[in-house]
Amino acid sequence: MSSQYFVGIDLGSTMTKVVIMSEAVVASVIGPTGPEHRKLANKVMEEALAKANLPFDDITYVVATGYGRINVPFADKQITEISCHARGVSWLLPEVRTVIDIGGQDCKGIKLSHGRAVDFVMNDRCAAGTGRFLEVAAEGLGVKLDDMGRLALTAKNAARISNTCTVFATQEMVAKLSGGVPLPEIIAGLHEAIAARIYSMVRRLKIEREVALTGGGAKNIGLVKALEAKLGYSVLVPPEPLLTGAMGAALLGKDIVKKAAESGVPLARSERRLREATLFT
Amino acid sequence: MTQETKPEERKKRRTATEAASRIGAMSKAMIGNVLRAMEEGRPVAYAFIFCGYDEIIRAMDIVPAWTENYAGICGAKRDAQRFLERAESENFSRSLCTYALCGIGFDSWREELGEMPPNPPWGGQARPTVMLGSGQMICDPRYKWYQALQHYMPDVPVYVHGMPWPPYENDYDYREVQDYYVKYIVAGLKDLIAFLEKHIGTKMDWDRLSEVVDLSDRTWNLISETYDLRKAVPCPMDTGDAMNTMVPMTFMMATQEAYNFFKDLNDELQRKIANKEGVVPDEKYRLMWGGGLPSWFALTDFNYFNSKGAVFPVETTYRLLEPVYKLDLPKVSDPLEHLAWRWVKWATYRYDKARKRPGSHPDIEHLIEYIEEYKIDGVVMHEAFSCRSWHPGLIWQLNQLKKVYGNIPSLILESDIVDISSYNEADTRARIDAFIDTLEAVKSRGR
Repeated sequence: MSSQYFVGIDLGSTMTKVVIMSEAVVASVIGPTGPEHRKLANKVMEEALAKANLPFDDITYVVATGYGRINVPFADKQITEISCHARGVSWLLPEVRTVIDIGGQDCKGIKLSHGRAVDFVMNDRCAAGTGRFLEVAAEGLGVKLDDMGRLALTAKNAARISNTCTVFATQEMVAKLSGGVPLPEIIAGLHEAIAARIYSMVRRLKIEREVALTGGGAKNIGLVKALEAKLGYSVLVPPEPLLTGAMGAALLGKDIVKKAAESGVPLARSERRLREATLFT
Repeated sequence: MTQETKPEERKKRRTATEAASRIGAMSKAMIGNVLRAMEEGRPVAYAFIFCGYDEIIRAMDIVPAWTENYAGICGAKRDAQRFLERAESENFSRSLCTYALCGIGFDSWREELGEMPPNPPWGGQARPTVMLGSGQMICDPRYKWYQALQHYMPDVPVYVHGMPWPPYENDYDYREVQDYYVKYIVAGLKDLIAFLEKHIGTKMDWDRLSEVVDLSDRTWNLISETYDLRKAVPCPMDTGDAMNTMVPMTFMMATQEAYNFFKDLNDELQRKIANKEGVVPDEKYRLMWGGGLPSWFALTDFNYFNSKGAVFPVETTYRLLEPVYKLDLPKVSDPLEHLAWRWVKWATYRYDKARKRPGSHPDIEHLIEYIEEYKIDGVVMHEAFSCRSWHPGLIWQLNQLKKVYGNIPSLILESDIVDISSYNEADTRARIDAFIDTLEAVKSRGR
């Protein structure tokens, strides 16, 4: 019997992620979503297929997730990112009970039990507590986003940023800079502020160890450390924290195919033709 | 310019019951009746639902104008923004209750123009003869709103009677103090009647008051019996409809019209149960609306839940009052004393139960009771940002419920009752999708 391949495609607000899996990950692609993302899911998919050296016809099942999941016309099924992150993290780190996912424009806390999400909280209303907060701050400070975390760790003290609103925090930050507060201290203060915001939301879930951090925020060492300080213990970060949603989507696709085979019920699949979503054309 | 703001497009909600589908017309007729009363010089009172003295208003032939609910209607018609903006321009904070802001915005505008603001929803809110505040220990705008309105209508007198009840404490028996509360309430109601007689010019007909009190007792009993029918599987009516049928329950309490409405609804639900007609054809999840007023402009979200196989057989919102026959009421001949006892007994109904369960609270007992009686799989609450009195306690209730009773999937929706700028349909529905996933996960492995 030839191998089966499963695709998970996670169209986030900032990044688009594709994972192709068989027994393990065969290929993955991460690219910026960009304003045209709703039309470009097929392009990212093409890139992933080329990387895996597979024709699209060889793909057994495609699951789309993330905010843009309805805009993947070639997906066989859409599943929420909460379920996909839960599945992906449980597969990678089975000991995890709480996931904190810090995305570009939202933040989620997910409680896991037996590999599935059983409770969750989300902040999708306010940029504070999301990657957007740091993006705006980095722009305001003239610092590369990728350098923010490292710079935060060089600070001896953290400046106190009392505003939780992104816009006002940026103003406060610029005022402190003008007042002579060293840049690393301001950046450390920003990381503390965002960690406090995330922690106050996720603690509604009654956080249980182990805790995994995923999403773009998990790639920021300053934020990881600030959250660990809030929690009082270390968190786990998957090797590629941006991919857990897409990975979970591929794994859920695999589960669906297995269940269908066991029950003998045929599965509906979309046409194996890469095309762009027409909703916005 | 606030005057140029146009209402946003509004989608009509699909109702499950024929009775609920009549509510729009009933509400519109009711608002029309208030306007007619004003034009004909009949007394109109601004008032709050669940004030505890609807019977006095009805027995004195005063036409109530439910101001919170007019704001809700503006919200449901997606035409509240211009009134909110108007209140804000009068320097009322956007953080205040948006019912109050919408009402204050509307009234201040009407008073400035000397006529209704342009294109008012359903003809507008009538200028009142009197304003009757009623705080009930849950809501500060219900005390302060009408006092604030006197800036714009200094000639309209205000009477505030809070209708208190013994607060819950787990280490004392409320019966030790209940008599004081009853006496206080009766004294306040007597003062209210004297105030109304003075400003309306009508004397209270005490025999009529007794009849109206009896009618409202029977109506509360009928409502409870009718809503209990929703325990059936499949559920014949859900919270989406109950957010409509709250109109006769609250706007029309102590009228024959309200009684007749619930008699019709009762008959309809019995028919549906006999025919096994549910809100959704394949009922997968039974949910409880565990607290919070809904976003009146987004009631179609209930239809969205339904499209996922989820129904709401029960809600705690607007089901604060138990049937009268379940209350341990003393036999009294004075209708005011009856109203006072009924009020205190409603408020304290679950106190004994709560004291028996460490860490519990009457509101949590309310949730537990419904979870068990209605076979609930998950709880949904709505945290309205502009409500500072009732809604902030909901998350505590949910956490405490999980502590004293056990884990149950829950979802907290975040928006507002009136202010549509707080609402994002795509995000709300993404949360609902994720919640349905968690319900499925929990169901598939057994709670």
